[in-house]
Amino acid sequence: MKLHRISTAVLAAATTLALAACGGAAPDDSSGGGGFTAEPAEGGTVHVLQNADFSYLDPARGWDGGVNNFYRLVYRQLTTSAPGSSENPTEIVPDLAESLGEASDDGLTWTYTLKDGLKFDNGDPITSAEVKFGISRAWDPQIGIGSPYLKQVIDAPKGYEGPYKSGDLPTIETPDAKTVVFHLIKPFPEFDAVLSQVNATPFPVDSGAGDEFIHELIASGPYKLAEYVPGSTIKLTRNENWDPATDEVRAAKPDGWEFTIGLDPATIGERLIAGQGADVNAIAGNIQPATLPRLQTPQLKERVLEFPGICTTYMGLNTTKKPLDDVRVRQAISYAIDRTTIVNASGGTQLGAPSTTILPASVAGHKDFDLYPSQDGTGDVEAAKKLLDEAGLSDGFTMTLDIRAQESMQAQAEAVQQALERVGITVELNLIDTSTYYETIGTPSQQHDAAITGWCPDWASSAATFIPPLFDGRNIYEKGNGNLAQINDPEINERIDEIGAMTDIDAANVQWGDLDEQILELAPIVPLMVAKGVTLPGENVTGLFSSANAATGGIDYVGVGLKDPEKG
Amino acid sequence: MMPSQTDLTAGTVAQSGGAGGTWRALRHDVGAMLGLGYIALVTLVAVFAPVLTSISGWTPYEFDQSAIDPDLGGMPIGAWGGMGAEHWLGVEPGSGRDIFARIVYGARVSMSIALSATALTTVLGVSLGLVAGYFGGRVDLVVSRVMDFLMAFPALIFMIAVLSALPASNRSGLLVVVISVFGWPYLARIVRGQTMSLAQREFVEAARAAGASGTRIVFREILPNLRSTIIVMATLAVPGYIGTEAGLSFLGVGVVPPAPSWGQMIAASVKWYAVDPAYFVVPGVCLFLLVLSFTVLGDRLRAVVDAQEGR
Repeated sequence: MKLHRISTAVLAAATTLALAACGGAAPDDSSGGGGFTAEPAEGGTVHVLQNADFSYLDPARGWDGGVNNFYRLVYRQLTTSAPGSSENPTEIVPDLAESLGEASDDGLTWTYTLKDGLKFDNGDPITSAEVKFGISRAWDPQIGIGSPYLKQVIDAPKGYEGPYKSGDLPTIETPDAKTVVFHLIKPFPEFDAVLSQVNATPFPVDSGAGDEFIHELIASGPYKLAEYVPGSTIKLTRNENWDPATDEVRAAKPDGWEFTIGLDPATIGERLIAGQGADVNAIAGNIQPATLPRLQTPQLKERVLEFPGICTTYMGLNTTKKPLDDVRVRQAISYAIDRTTIVNASGGTQLGAPSTTILPASVAGHKDFDLYPSQDGTGDVEAAKKLLDEAGLSDGFTMTLDIRAQESMQAQAEAVQQALERVGITVELNLIDTSTYYETIGTPSQQHDAAITGWCPDWASSAATFIPPLFDGRNIYEKGNGNLAQINDPEINERIDEIGAMTDIDAANVQWGDLDEQILELAPIVPLMVAKGVTLPGENVTGLFSSANAATGGIDYVGVGLKDPEKG
Repeated sequence: MMPSQTDLTAGTVAQSGGAGGTWRALRHDVGAMLGLGYIALVTLVAVFAPVLTSISGWTPYEFDQSAIDPDLGGMPIGAWGGMGAEHWLGVEPGSGRDIFARIVYGARVSMSIALSATALTTVLGVSLGLVAGYFGGRVDLVVSRVMDFLMAFPALIFMIAVLSALPASNRSGLLVVVISVFGWPYLARIVRGQTMSLAQREFVEAARAAGASGTRIVFREILPNLRSTIIVMATLAVPGYIGTEAGLSFLGVGVVPPAPSWGQMIAASVKWYAVDPAYFVVPGVCLFLLVLSFTVLGDRLRAVVDAQEGR
C-alpha cells in the first residue's frame, strides 16, 4: 500500500507526463492565467488527454494521483477536500455528511449525520448502511488494496476480512438511517481526513463483490459511466439522481467528460499546442521539457498554466549500509549534492524547484531551512570533504544508486553522480526496470546504498501523511517498505507519536516543521527537488484550480468547465 | 578488437592467395574506399577518444550549466544546439554535456561491441559450421537443429527480455554475448553448406587417402577455401551488429548510463526534434554513415571476391 503510494508519487514527480502531475495547492491561478479562473458555463463536454490508463474504477482498489481526481467526479464520501477554487483548498469539508465529525471526549468515537436527498445513480437512497458497507470493503484482502488509513485507524475485529467474507463490521454503528458512528483503535485527531480517502465511498449493500467494479461503477457523484473501453476511452454523462443542493464542493458544469487514454506524451503536447477541433476543450497533465521552448510565443504563453508542486523528489540513503551508517558521511553527501544540475536535468526551473526540506512549501507544516547550505545551491564541496576526512574516508568510496530505467530519473541520477564525484564518491547506477523498481527498493534485502524516489502527501492539510510513513522506524517492512533510509531513531519515533496525538492541527504543523529539521540533521535522505506542474489547457476551458489533496497538485476536475459549450 | 584465431588463419592464407588482387580491385572502387576511409576515421576517433576530448576540453560526463537555459526546459543556448567554439557539436539539453565528447566516446562503445560480436559470431559460426558440414550425421543433426531453433526465435524480443532481467553491471559484455548467441547461425549455415560441397572435392579425398586426421582436413584443407566467404560475411555482419547495439540502447536496454552510446543519444534526442534538431542529427548522421560504410564495403568486397572465384 505504501509502495502503491510511492509509485504514484514518483510517477507524477519524475515522469512529468503522468496525468495528475504534481502541481500545487496554492489557490491562486499562478502565472499566465489568461482567464482560466472565470466561472464556466453550463453544458458541453470536457476532454482529458492522458497517457496512462486509470488503475481501477473501484475506489477501494485504486489510490493514486492519476485516478483520485477522476473518482471525485463519480464518487462522494462523508467528507472531502474543499474545491481547488476555495480559499483553503487543503481543508477537509463535509460532503455526504451534514458537518464534520463529532468526536467523543476520549477521541475514540466519531459521529456523522448524513444529508437528505442523497442517491446513487440507480435512484436508490444513500443511507448509513451503504456508507458503512462501502467503508467495510477496505478490509477485503483482495479488493481493499487502496488507501491504508481506514484500516489503520478504524477499530475492527481481529481477522476481519471485509463484508463479502466476514459479513457485518460491528465497530461501525448505524443507529438510524442518517447516523454513522465510528470507533477508532486510538485517538486520531485528523479522522475527517481519513474519511475523505477515496475508499470511504458508499456502495449499495452486497454490491461490488469480486471483480464487479472492474468495468462498471455505481456513481454517487455528479457523473456516471457512459462508456468504458479499457486503455482507450472513458465517457461520463450526468447522473440525474445527483442533487446539486446536497453538494457544495462539485460545481459540475459540463454535461459530460471524455477521457482519451493511451496517447503518447509527445502527441498530447502537439495536440494541445495545435488546439484544433475538440481539443480547445481539452486538458492534460504536465507537458514535456522538450515542449517548453515552444511555448514561448505570446499566443501559447497566455495559455500556460503553472502550479507549484506538492511532491518531494529525494534520494534515500540506506543507513544500514557501510559507510552510510556514519552520519558524517550522509551529511557530506547532503553538502555535496548540486540541486541546480538536478533541477536542470529534470526540465529546468519551470518544471522543478530545488528543495532543502522534506516538506514542500505547499504542504502545511513546511518550515524553510537549509541545514547544508551552499552558494546558489550548487553544493559545498569543502564542507563535504571535511566531513569525509573526519569519517576517515578522505579517499572517497563507491556506492550504488538504484534508479528507475526511465529518462528523467536517469538524468537526475547522472547529476547526482557528477556532484558526488567532486568529493571522491563514485556512484554506480543500478538501472531497475520501471515495473519492478518500487518493489525492489521497498524490499530492504534487495535495495542498495541509495535510491531516488518521491513522496506526495495523502492530505496536504498536515504533515501526518508525509513524515511518519517515511521516517517511523517501527514501519520498516520486509516488503513494501516506505522507510527507505531504514532509520530507526527513538527520538524521531517518539516525536512522531507525540505530534500525531495533538488535537490542535495548526500547533501540530509547527511541530512537524521542527521535526523535519530534526530528521534532516541525521541526513537519512537528501531532498532534491519539488517537481512543478506546467500544463497547456485548451483555450475554451476554464475553472482550472489546483488541489493538493484531490488531484495531487494538478487541476481539480470538480470546478472545470467550458467558456462556450457550443465550441469544439 | 582482438583478432580471432580464425581471422588470423584466414588472413595468412589470403595473403598467399588472391588478397593482392582483391585489394587492387577494391582500391579502384570509390564507394568501397570512401566507406573504408570513414571506418578508419571512426576507429581512430574511438582509439584516441581521450586525446580528442582533452583537446576539445570537455569530458563526456561533465555538466555545463552555463550552456543551457534553465528557464526553457534546459534547452541549449545558441543556434544549432549550442554549437560553437566551446562545444564543437553543441550540448545535450538538460545537462549541458558536450556532444562531441559523447560522440567520440560513443564510437568506442559502438565499434567495440560490434567488432567483438562479429569476432565471437565468426569463431562460433565458422567452427560449428565446419564441424556440422564435415562430420555430418548426428553432429550435423544437433548443430543444425540448434541453428534452426535460434533462427526461428524472435531474437530482438528475447534480447530485450534477457538484458532487462539480468543485472546491469557489465552491459557491454552482456550485449556482445547476447548478440552473438543469436548471430552465429547465419554464418554457420553458409559455412556448413560450403563445407559439405568442399568435402566431396578431390583434394579433400586426396588428403584423406594420405591419412590426414579429420581436424587437419577441416582446418588445413577446407577452411582456407572458405576465407573469402568468411571475410565477406563478417564485413556484412558488422553494420547489423552496430544497428542492433544502437537499437537496444535506443530501447533502454543497452549500455548503462552515463556511458554514452549513439543509440542512446538518438533515443534521448527524439523528444527534442522540434526545438533542437541538431541534437538528433549529429548521432543520427554518425550512425547512418558507419552502417552505410560497412554495408558498401562488404557489398563491394563480395562483388570482387565473386568475380575472382568465377574466373
